[in-house]
Amino acid sequence: MGDKFKVAQPWLTLFARLILGGVLLAAGALKIGNLQKSAMAVRAYELLPVSLANFLGYTLPWVEIGVGLLLITGALVRISGLIGAITMLAFIIAISQAWARGLSIDCGCFGGGGAINPEDTKYLSEIIRDIGLLMLGIYLYFYPKGRFSLDK
Amino acid sequence: MAANNGGDKGTRNLVIVMVSFIVVVGVVFSLISNRSSTTAAVPASVSADDGYGIVLNPNTKPTIDVYVDYQCPACRAFEIINGGYLNEVIAQNKAKVVFHPMTFIGPESILAANAAACAADENEFMAMNLALFQDQSAEENSGKWQGDALLNIGKSIGINSAKFETCIKDGSYVNWTGNVATATAKADVNGTPTIFVNGKELDRSKENNEYGDPVKFRAALAAGGVK
Repeated sequence: MGDKFKVAQPWLTLFARLILGGVLLAAGALKIGNLQKSAMAVRAYELLPVSLANFLGYTLPWVEIGVGLLLITGALVRISGLIGAITMLAFIIAISQAWARGLSIDCGCFGGGGAINPEDTKYLSEIIRDIGLLMLGIYLYFYPKGRFSLDK
Repeated sequence: MAANNGGDKGTRNLVIVMVSFIVVVGVVFSLISNRSSTTAAVPASVSADDGYGIVLNPNTKPTIDVYVDYQCPACRAFEIINGGYLNEVIAQNKAKVVFHPMTFIGPESILAANAAACAADENEFMAMNLALFQDQSAEENSGKWQGDALLNIGKSIGINSAKFETCIKDGSYVNWTGNVATATAKADVNGTPTIFVNGKELDRSKENNEYGDPVKFRAALAAGGVK
């Protein structure tokens, strides 16, 4: 396994960077056009005090864009991967608690968000997707060096 | 590039600086633009203490808060089902009713909320409220409410004043809609329609709730002290 992994690792890192970075960039970009809705999406999780939820709703999209850009260009990959992984973990916890408490919300991951009809919730697929992205973030933390990267 | 497996250090630092700059500017801009504006023009019937909502029967009790977005189909349904009774409550001065026109669906929600506020200054808010829902497009931000459309809706309910026309054309209360949005965010309203009776939210998550059932809506208002 050792030799094969050594060859594949830089390419896997590139792959992980582009997927996680691309998803974060898209997620942030789709939210900044409607920050009212972004804040509404965070409030709908009923997890944080209202003022903190609104603050996150207004600011998180920009952080997603920033981390996404860093991952795609390959700058500060280790830290960006870690931040990406931490955000994904937070999303997984937030979505799981919403599911467990029987809330009916859209995750608001790519814009949208807020209260929706109970039959329209997609908690399982949202959690599975975020677990996949969490894995990519963890991988980047441990193997930040890859192809086509600004990091040396 | 693949050969040396990386770019040079200057490019990397430049990218980091630029990305940080984008994030910081974006965050600051977002926080500032979502603060309440003290200089925004507000309609005469608006009270900052009531979340910048349009207040009808300001001295009556109990208080009913109504949060709608004029582009929200569920709000249109609510208006069709319960709007008649709500009108009756207002006309007979049975409650103080505060309307909070939300704008999270987009630009045409802002135009519609502005038009409703312009109509409020003509004492025609309730008629405009109904007319807007009746004219709601099936698609969000379809372009239907651009141009003179909202002015014509006003004319259709008998508003012909020059002041109203200026108000619509200048978007006099567009900045006020931002204040409503900020107050709504603080009030923890996460969907539309949302009704509060004396500060208590009617639960939308239950099946057959008050929003879709006129008998239950009446009962909820009665329980809140509407006689």
